[in-house]
Amino acid sequence: MTETTLTEIVPALPARNVLESLRAVIDPELGLDIVSLGMVYVVTVAGGSVNIEMTLTTPGCPLHASIEADVKHVLGQVPGVDDVSVELVWDPPWTPDAMSDSAKSALGFW
Amino acid sequence: MPRLGEDGAPPALPIGTLMVGALALLAGALALLLNAGALTGPINSPTMVALVHTFTLGYVGLIFAGTLQQLPAVMFVTKLAWPWLGYVTTPALLSGSAAVVIGFASGFHPTWLQVGAVVTSLGWALLLAQLLATALRRPPKDAGSQALILAVLFLTFTVVAGFLLASARTTPAVAQVVGYPVRLHLSLGIFGAFLLGIVGSGQKLLSMFALSKGGAQWRVRAAMLLITAALVVESVEAIARVPLGSLALLLLAGGSLMQLLEVAAIYRRRLRKKLEAPIRRYVLAHAFMPLAGLLVLLDQPTAAAAAFLVGFVGLAVSGMLVKISSFLVWTAVFANARSGGVSGGAPLLRDLMRDELEPLTTWALAGGALALCATFMTGQPLLATTSAALLLLGAASQVAQVVHVVGITVLAGRRLGRAAAPVPTPAVSAEEAP
Repeated sequence: MTETTLTEIVPALPARNVLESLRAVIDPELGLDIVSLGMVYVVTVAGGSVNIEMTLTTPGCPLHASIEADVKHVLGQVPGVDDVSVELVWDPPWTPDAMSDSAKSALGFW
Repeated sequence: MPRLGEDGAPPALPIGTLMVGALALLAGALALLLNAGALTGPINSPTMVALVHTFTLGYVGLIFAGTLQQLPAVMFVTKLAWPWLGYVTTPALLSGSAAVVIGFASGFHPTWLQVGAVVTSLGWALLLAQLLATALRRPPKDAGSQALILAVLFLTFTVVAGFLLASARTTPAVAQVVGYPVRLHLSLGIFGAFLLGIVGSGQKLLSMFALSKGGAQWRVRAAMLLITAALVVESVEAIARVPLGSLALLLLAGGSLMQLLEVAAIYRRRLRKKLEAPIRRYVLAHAFMPLAGLLVLLDQPTAAAAAFLVGFVGLAVSGMLVKISSFLVWTAVFANARSGGVSGGAPLLRDLMRDELEPLTTWALAGGALALCATFMTGQPLLATTSAALLLLGAASQVAQVVHVVGITVLAGRRLGRAAAPVPTPAVSAEEAP
């Protein structure tokens, strides 16, 4: 399971809360949230600005625009968040090990 | 990063082209049912050749063309070059293919055939140029993308070879130079274009949809090498008229085996244990490859070609058609929705399909392909009618699914759009109102 790096600079809200909010963002193809899928690498909170470093299951995934927009939409509704930026990264590449046990179970991975 | 509808072609282009391709199969299957007797007659009769070209140029060709309006941006991870070009290529391919089919159906009418072949060749040449221009923006290093480029190159050669065939019929000078290379035309299309196209796009798409790390670059490269070598051998045989025995056939068998091994490895190492129905259909299509090989060994070349073309290519294309359609429409409608994606009420991709249509499509198309093989082996009219009826049922079910996917997604988008729309400010304030 991905260990998400949580960074808080002059925190207005805990980065942990931001990460939990991202559980509302569902991958439309897999039907699971991006936190359980292990796609969120870094959450940085600086005042009201939030930066998310995340990945997708495969580079060039055609759903990246919608997932990125959904992250901004969901975090935009969190009190205290004024600005959201999303950075898609491919290093390290996503692997099945990044998923939580429940996500693996939902995909029949056992 | 590519964005569908932003870095690819406008979404209406690939979606429209895919839908026309699905309709071409429906029209072809209906024509087959009305002319089922042609299946028990000569294989090179005008009706049979017209039906084959409805399938290859109309169904497979248009779906391939529609896919090329978006897939290169995804596979090469860059922007599609000249994203408006589909407004030229899709009408060219549609009208050119229709002219070719009319030309064959009307007894090899030279004008229809030549005009159709020129227009279709032009359409594919432009698509090839677009693909190469896209590749130049970010040269793809993976074997799947390279196989896709090679497939479009071979498809362009196929239609050009078709044009030469049409010209050779009417112009003796052309016939003297190029002969009548029907076998090369068939091999270029079936193996160079369709098999390699499935090899290239399939590696990326199947791995993506199955969440699998089982794909191997070397197998795709080996498939490319073996198929290309086979086509070179066939070209030497056709142009230089040097007989090389069964070498081309062996090389094609090797290339096909690589694809079988690749799909088996991706399937075995998938994370999603329960694949969606269209993807299962894509995987099932590969069962027709060994069947085609067996039919070749039994000296049943026509039945083998039917197994490979209608069974393998037909089912593989059908599976990807439904899956790609749902991706394209969903992304076009919801990618930049103000309401957000699934969190804002957008449906999951798997909820866009009518589940009951999928097994119907799969088993009707597969049954139709099997009955087609049996028809060519036995010459039984009842089998011919059964095959045509099953293919028509599968084609109709497929069209219904695609129309449903597009319709339900657009409706869901409108519903969400209305829900997310800001409350309009009254033009006249309450105080000003009388």
